[in-house]
Amino acid sequence: MSAQYASADIAKVPRTRLSPWLFLVIPVAIAIPLIPFFAEVSHFVLSMFMQTTTYAIAVLGMVVVLGYTGQINLAQAAFFGFGAYGVALGTVTYGLSFWVSFAIGIATAAVAGGILGLTTLRLGGHYLAMITISFQQIFDLVAVNWIGFTHGPDGIPGIGRPSLFGKPLDDDRHYLLLCALILYAMIALVWWLPQTRLGRAMRGIRENELAAEVVGVHTLRVKITAFTLCAALGGVGGGLYAGGFAYISPDNFNFTRAIEFLSMVLLGGVQSPFGGAIGTTLLILLPEWLKEMPPALQFIKDVYLAIYGLAVILIMVFMPEGIWGVLRNTWMKFRSAPPVDTSWVQPLQLGITVTETTPLLKLENVQKHFGGLRAVDGIDLEVHRGTVHALIGPNGSGKTTTLNVLNGIYKPTGGRIFIDGVDVSQKSPHERAAHGLGRTFQNIRLFPNMTALENVIVGAQRDNNPIGKGHRALKARAMSALQFVGMAEKANTIVRSLPYGHQRLVEISRALAGHPKLLLLDEPAAGLNQTEKMELVELLKRLRSGHGLTIFLIDHDMGLVEKVSDRITVLNFGKKIAEGAPQEVLRHPEVIAAYLGEPPANAAT
Amino acid sequence: MPLLELKNVASYYGSVQALKSVSLRVEQGEVVTLLGANGAGKSTTLRTISGLLRPTSGEVWFDGQPIHAMAPEKIVRLGISHVPEGRRIFPGLTVRENIMLGTSNRGRLTKKQMEDEVAQMFETFPVIRPFENALGWTLSGGQQQMLAVARGLMAKPKLLLLDEPSLGLAPVIVQQLFATIREIHARGTTILLVEQNANMALSVANRGYVLETGEMKVEGSPKELLGNEEVRAAYLGGHG
Repeated sequence: MSAQYASADIAKVPRTRLSPWLFLVIPVAIAIPLIPFFAEVSHFVLSMFMQTTTYAIAVLGMVVVLGYTGQINLAQAAFFGFGAYGVALGTVTYGLSFWVSFAIGIATAAVAGGILGLTTLRLGGHYLAMITISFQQIFDLVAVNWIGFTHGPDGIPGIGRPSLFGKPLDDDRHYLLLCALILYAMIALVWWLPQTRLGRAMRGIRENELAAEVVGVHTLRVKITAFTLCAALGGVGGGLYAGGFAYISPDNFNFTRAIEFLSMVLLGGVQSPFGGAIGTTLLILLPEWLKEMPPALQFIKDVYLAIYGLAVILIMVFMPEGIWGVLRNTWMKFRSAPPVDTSWVQPLQLGITVTETTPLLKLENVQKHFGGLRAVDGIDLEVHRGTVHALIGPNGSGKTTTLNVLNGIYKPTGGRIFIDGVDVSQKSPHERAAHGLGRTFQNIRLFPNMTALENVIVGAQRDNNPIGKGHRALKARAMSALQFVGMAEKANTIVRSLPYGHQRLVEISRALAGHPKLLLLDEPAAGLNQTEKMELVELLKRLRSGHGLTIFLIDHDMGLVEKVSDRITVLNFGKKIAEGAPQEVLRHPEVIAAYLGEPPANAAT
Repeated sequence: MPLLELKNVASYYGSVQALKSVSLRVEQGEVVTLLGANGAGKSTTLRTISGLLRPTSGEVWFDGQPIHAMAPEKIVRLGISHVPEGRRIFPGLTVRENIMLGTSNRGRLTKKQMEDEVAQMFETFPVIRPFENALGWTLSGGQQQMLAVARGLMAKPKLLLLDEPSLGLAPVIVQQLFATIREIHARGTTILLVEQNANMALSVANRGYVLETGEMKVEGSPKELLGNEEVRAAYLGGHG
């Protein structure tokens, strides 16, 4: 099976251009840490700058894990602490160089983050919050009580600073410049991440974890990577912090600090590194401003913490997407999306040649029980290559459960499933996707806050997809798949704002982008009107006859089922009650009694 | 005086204008169906009536009083029950509890009254009776749809808003469901029905409206609508 694009075709794919705004933002950003070299700046202000830059790096980690991947982390202060203790213990206790200690701190944080990420295998939501809080508390207890190693509550003074090009950075201004440059590099990294394979997988998990797994994302691996990255960023921030202030103690890294990091990222905007940086800056400066009020407003000094708290609450209530979210939404309102250029898009190829006569899908006595309920109770079934096979039956007869067992969302209680001769019964959904199994869902499961194109690219980036390497190959594939269903013009539209019928088409095209051998469709016609149903029939016929794709579908619209199916299987109470060509099955008395009610001539369509 | 009347209602869904100018009326005792393509604004119209969305302009009158500025829970208490699209049942409660919660707009019922009414629902929807004590999420999609309709009926509404009740139901169940809708209507409930299954919807309706990109295009009896070219274009496939 080969449907690779010629490199000439891929060369036609337009490159993503950098925003011209960068040419404005970069010089301003570089100028800020240079200010102290030209103007008199107090030691206090310098240390505030230092605090802001180092905290902001840790907050960037929160953008990755919470903003991009949608996983809660209330232990960022602990990772910040790993980095700080790495530098402190390395330079003070063990006499290592700053850079070696720094690397050890970051590595320790990253490993701890990965281990914490592993817990997401079984836990999510509030359980994950609980786990991360416990982790944070353990860190705090160890830092306070293991006096022989951590120096306990007294902390560690005299922490060293690095040298750069043989010149020690003892001047605060020089060290600050280093911190700022590292911060900018990290912002650029986190900013670039969402457009990468990994970043799209993370956002897919945030938007709909099950769908991400089913289209081929190794969700556990991506979540572990996200936690590792988040913790490493915490470690970088912490290491620089320790060097900057030359003294650390456990209360710099306790649960309160973790909550501060969380507030910073939520306030600034969790979806963007710029949001993280804005939030950090504000929450460090805000209390200082309140303390520096003129004498007439001296009373503020006494209640500044209350005002500070109130301000945070108000911002969260009125700007749930954070400050950056508000700025971005305002900007989007004045900017109309540019029209999508589709002139370069190639026709979709599925690369299927039907030569073998063995069944593509084979179920052997498949069972799925939920406690005492036998949802699927011993089904044998064969789906032949290049055919459309429909599964029908009353509500609750086990159709969707069969589909879920087929693509690995449920492990079968008994029996075996073969796709293209390979036993996939124990494989996870993303492994089955890599084996050429695509699917859509009864209640559409797209990634609602991503564009149609991004949704489909996630489908295209599954393992072993034979489309060549690189972002442009993925984009070429995704645009072909969108064009096939007639949605190429909507490529840059956020799918949440598409009408229902169009969302269905995007979901089908996401599955097609992954080169499926077998496509599972769960009620593709549900919620479509008659015109759209006719278009769907045409689409399915094009896939089957034009491309040789094998399709296994569930639907209640007998008009559609009769028009597209080569073969129909009827389930009732988890068992097969009839199977055969549409004409005979739809006239089977048992099928009429249990399912159709009236013979198909009177059914809708 | 109509039971429900919308006068030039406009509504936004996020930043998208979903309804431009919608006027419709539902007389006491009628079944009125609202047809239109995906994205035409049918569900938005229902959400605006039940108070989940505030209209930006225009008026909604129910039973002689304006309701467009009222909170949804107040509108429910006036006697409008909304069965939303997509089976919004309570997944962690049992089927029985789901049904019982439908009465929360009616004050306190006696135990006997509650038992009787729940039993009546199981008679109307025998398919879900065996799952009385099962949790909502364990039902299949179609069973959840029936549960949602049953819960809506428990409100004993003066006006029942049904959003795509046949979505994802087996043909035999769709036939049962429409038989039930006829029965509910015969017992005196006024119904505003949104459906993709135009033939079925028009078979139970007294009147219908066709909505196109947020505006009312056509109004008429089922016979008039089935004979109308525009309705065919919007609904029955083919353009013109």
